[in-house]
Amino acid sequence: MSTERFKLLLCLGCGFSYDEALGLPEHGIAPGTRWADIPDDWVCPDCGTPKHMFEMVVIGYAPGGPELARTA
Amino acid sequence: MSNSFIIRNAERGHDMIKSDGLRSSYIAGHPDGFVTRASSFNFHEYQGGRPGFGPIRVFGDEIFHGAGCGYNMHPHHNFVICAFVFAGELTHINTAGAGMVDRLQAGDYYVFSAGSGGKHSELSVTPEDMHAIYLWLLPEQLYLPPTYHRAHFDFRRRRNEIVQLVGDDSGALPIAQDLRVSRLMADASRSFSYRLRTTSHGVYVFAREGSVRCGDVTLGRRDSTGIWNVDAINIEVLEDDADVMIVETIMTDDENIKKWEREHAGH
Ligand SMILES: [Fe+2]
Ligand SMILES: [Zn+2]
Repeated sequence: MSTERFKLLLCLGCGFSYDEALGLPEHGIAPGTRWADIPDDWVCPDCGTPKHMFEMVVIGYAPGGPELARTA
Repeated sequence: MSNSFIIRNAERGHDMIKSDGLRSSYIAGHPDGFVTRASSFNFHEYQGGRPGFGPIRVFGDEIFHGAGCGYNMHPHHNFVICAFVFAGELTHINTAGAGMVDRLQAGDYYVFSAGSGGKHSELSVTPEDMHAIYLWLLPEQLYLPPTYHRAHFDFRRRRNEIVQLVGDDSGALPIAQDLRVSRLMADASRSFSYRLRTTSHGVYVFAREGSVRCGDVTLGRRDSTGIWNVDAINIEVLEDDADVMIVETIMTDDENIKKWEREHAGH
């Protein structure tokens, strides 16, 4: 696995987050899956916004945030 | 040296979204309801413009046309959403925490921080059209507990002064970001100075009504300017009943925005 830092992306339609470290196991994406490896036709599971309209962000989690993100 | 940009009214993204077909699950008020939206920043299909300002991603004035018009229930996370109502009545419903139903009229405004998640609906249930400005921004931290706060701006008593509506002043609504929203309703020939917190902050000035001179730029109705790397700005009112929104924010180091600026350098 690459040693590059895991990225965090936010859906600009609704604020749903994709964290490479967490993946989206409930949507069939394993933890550690890089954003680049997600198909281009993938859309936000909450609002349907296309992948290219996610924005990479550098924002920390509130306490307990990663657990909430995993089940969001 | 200061940096700035100007967005004229006509340069904003102008959308008209009808409640029909697939859109009727998103836009309420089928079959004749429709929302008009003028967006300062790049949002949804409006892809040509500046992507944002600091943590701000949406600044738009919207009108809900027809009783029952608005946005049906849909989910959010993380975004902080503010609405400032200018005419008609906005019914805001959200499912965060214990749930909330609120009715807002001219001068009322709210700050809804979606945080760890909540659905909301925005509706106009009265006969007159509802006019509001919507502001969306990224929070300081992700998955905070959701919050909703509301207040009222008394434009009869607070004339000819810059009044902080959202931010860290006492009396302003709290927000989970280093950002302040102020409003100025003022008469012609008055002049106001707005001092920024630090030179790492920037200010976005939107002339909702009337016209003002901001630095060496004249803003007409619905024109706006973003200014940063300055200590203070001056706003000179050129027309009676000017109504100006002033958003001061920390200028986050944002690669998306910088990339856009590089690609549009000199324009
Ligand atoms: Fe929404
Ligand atoms: Zn989304």
